[in-house]
Amino acid sequence: MSVLAPIICDNGTGFSKVGYAGNSDPSFVFPTAIATRGPASQPTRGGPPVPSKPGSLASKRGVEDLDFFIGDEALANAKTPGYGVNYPIRHGQIDNWDYMERYWEQTIFKYLRCEPEDHYFLLTEPPLNAPENREQTAEIFFESFNIKGLYIAVQAVLALAASWSSNRVTDRTLTGTVIDSGDGVTHVIPCAEGYVIGSAIKHIPIAGRDITQFVLNLLRERGEMVNVPPEEHMKVAGRVKENYSYVCQDIVKEFRKYDVEPYKYFERYEDEYSVTGKKYAVDVGYERFLAPEIFFNPEIYSSDFLTPLPEIVDGVIQQSPIDVRRGLYKNIVLSGGSTMFQHFGQRLKRDLKQIVDRRLENTSVQSGSHMKSSGVEVDVISHKRQRYAVWFGGSLMASLPEFYSFCHTKAQYDEIGPSICRRYQIFGSAT
Amino acid sequence: MILLESNNYIIQTTLAEKLTKPSSLDVQFVDFDDVRFHLSTPERKTQLVLSMSIRCWDELVRYGVHSILQREYGSMVKAQPEPEYNVSLELDLEQFPADPEARESLIQSISLLKRNVLAAPFETAFTTQKELAAAGSGQGELLALHYRDEEAIYVQASFDRVTVIFSTMFREETDRIFGKVFLQEFVDARRLPTIQSAPQVLYTTNTPPLELSHIPDLVQTEDVGYVTFILFPRHFEKQPIAESTISHIQSFRDYLHYHIKCSKAYMHSRMRHRVSEFQKVLNRAKTEVATGERKTVSGRSLVR
Amino acid sequence: MSNVLRPYLAAVRSTLTAALTLEDFSSQIVERHNKPEVEVGGSKEVLLNPLTISRNENERVLIEPSINSIRLSIKIKQADEIERILCHKFTRFMMQRAESFIVLRRKPVKGYDISFLITNHHTDSMLKHKIVDFIIQFMEEVDKEISEMKLSLNARARVVAESYLSAFNS
Repeated sequence: MSVLAPIICDNGTGFSKVGYAGNSDPSFVFPTAIATRGPASQPTRGGPPVPSKPGSLASKRGVEDLDFFIGDEALANAKTPGYGVNYPIRHGQIDNWDYMERYWEQTIFKYLRCEPEDHYFLLTEPPLNAPENREQTAEIFFESFNIKGLYIAVQAVLALAASWSSNRVTDRTLTGTVIDSGDGVTHVIPCAEGYVIGSAIKHIPIAGRDITQFVLNLLRERGEMVNVPPEEHMKVAGRVKENYSYVCQDIVKEFRKYDVEPYKYFERYEDEYSVTGKKYAVDVGYERFLAPEIFFNPEIYSSDFLTPLPEIVDGVIQQSPIDVRRGLYKNIVLSGGSTMFQHFGQRLKRDLKQIVDRRLENTSVQSGSHMKSSGVEVDVISHKRQRYAVWFGGSLMASLPEFYSFCHTKAQYDEIGPSICRRYQIFGSAT
Repeated sequence: MILLESNNYIIQTTLAEKLTKPSSLDVQFVDFDDVRFHLSTPERKTQLVLSMSIRCWDELVRYGVHSILQREYGSMVKAQPEPEYNVSLELDLEQFPADPEARESLIQSISLLKRNVLAAPFETAFTTQKELAAAGSGQGELLALHYRDEEAIYVQASFDRVTVIFSTMFREETDRIFGKVFLQEFVDARRLPTIQSAPQVLYTTNTPPLELSHIPDLVQTEDVGYVTFILFPRHFEKQPIAESTISHIQSFRDYLHYHIKCSKAYMHSRMRHRVSEFQKVLNRAKTEVATGERKTVSGRSLVR
Repeated sequence: MSNVLRPYLAAVRSTLTAALTLEDFSSQIVERHNKPEVEVGGSKEVLLNPLTISRNENERVLIEPSINSIRLSIKIKQADEIERILCHKFTRFMMQRAESFIVLRRKPVKGYDISFLITNHHTDSMLKHKIVDFIIQFMEEVDKEISEMKLSLNARARVVAESYLSAFNS
């Protein structure tokens, strides 16, 4: 046995996905939350406490910074007096390095149970991350944890790599458009040959949390939620969204179908109240297909954001350099939990194709029918690993034998310093 | 979290999850000290195979690991371990006890696989000590366990004690110095009245302790140190105490390294704080550039 | 302790204040170059005599003035191995963030732990006495910080060792 499996650590705003390379699913998925002593989210405290005297055993002075919980345990301890929950990552970027360092510390030693000195690490970063952040990350991993080697990859690129697992993908290219929709925000990110086209990235303020809220609104309006205890509302809405929703091809037809045969399409969701154990049930109807519809017709939910997702995707590709646009249309990759709805890909493909074809037709009319386009291929790729696509892409990359040559090793770090991590070679690129 | 736990969290959570919802599975993961696990469902969804590979297996076999496996896991142990692994357990989820408490304890015991396997030399030494104590004198064989590339555990029984020696090796300068500070405290800590009954700790660098002096191929460099724990019969006479002593002493290295890393993380947060304080001091030196809009007498803004 | 420290810091303060008389000065050798002369070292006539202020053999400050820039290097007290490594870590951590400490040099001068480079641009945009205050405060606090770090390391080590050993009691 030469080298132990590299560790993939994908720390997102809402959830962290960590595990060993070579597996198809992360070993742990838990909230990126840390519960520490002291009030929650105090911006900068008066510095770490200074241990006064080498204390007695009872008071355990000097190790206050070991008294914390992460992940699910952090949320479970949120109500314990004396603890406050903090979220060290904001908008995809690390906001509080002190908390993040301790978060990693416990991830490695408590959950993964590995000696970081024996492992290579693959971390992820959001697109357009500042190189200073990379340096700080490298500083933590190399100096505190003495890891063997480090690779920091852009999430979108890993999501592209994850799509290679789909049997519809024949050429393993790193050119494509990534639609990454998690809990907080949706990004549309174009990538060319493994490089993110930063100027064309678009964010959509609609994501998982909004869909849940929308489902909840619909259920409330129909009066389904009267039997449900208020604390469980969000949970029920979340379950309904995850278990019953799908994307329809035509809303009007779908409504009619439901009205003609309600018994065939209405579903019943049953659960019990976690406190009293009382059972309750909810009828699930139109929200089954209306929930994901807010991506395609945002006006049904929000009043300030009105552009449908296919139009945004089209806009992003049109803003990218002209020579990669074909590649971007041809390889649209979905990633994140909020793209898991059934038929999401097909619908997106159809709508986008319409936009593209209409434009081509316009051009040909305007040119007086002298020019005829050969057509643009549009394809949206859904695959089985979509939910944790970024992590899976990392797992795939890190299990390649070449992975190690792309990493910066501890020796290189010691030689050159953190600035070495400003640049990483793109996977699959020729030196 | 000050003490590390000895059970493997991944095994525990995965088993608990698969019991409620069986599905096919194929995962590989590791534990401290070059231990690799492979958990899979080769035939059907309810039949899990947990395999482990550990680097000092040959030594463990000599110290009677098979009897421990038989005792702890009985029929679950597969006669022929999976290729590339040293030991395989076959877990039939349908055979798991229905009683939640019994179920819990079975999962717990499976997640302690690594701990149980590594217990072999210690258990051997403890029994030898009892035999020697009856005889009144003598020394048992020195049991070496090369559990990492550069580090090893040595266990030796004698008629009144069991000596456990860890060779330590720090790859990095900072770790070496921090490690020295920590190990010195281990030696000194025993002076405290509350922990008088703890095992005696000795720490030497460069020269190996007497017990090891006859080993020929011992690496002797500046970086290598030796930590000796002297366990007295009170640490292992009673069964439950012996169990906890074994779990505890096994995790010594991981514990030490975990805390060295935590200290470095703590230093980082201190430095971050201090640097931001200095930053504030320096910012005070910057002259204020008048950015406020300047107005004319009539109240219009002045544009130059 | 501070009684001994005070004259040392006072000496550094007055020397530094006196040395911080910088003016804009273009290179005499290369056209359209305007570089800190103390770093370039090309023309001897614009360099002034460097000066060392020593508190003892382990603690000293080197001040190298020139016409448009001054370089100040500090050797920080390191009593033992632990202080040495902590000091090294701390200065490295700080120099890593030199970008935001405008007057900090990314690398120390040989034989010293940390160096500052103050140019006429800095004295133009910042208050001179406040820059001096910063340097002095840094010198005051860095010793304190390192000894506190050492103390906390020892305290931690003790707690860690005690927790480990006391677990054998059960």
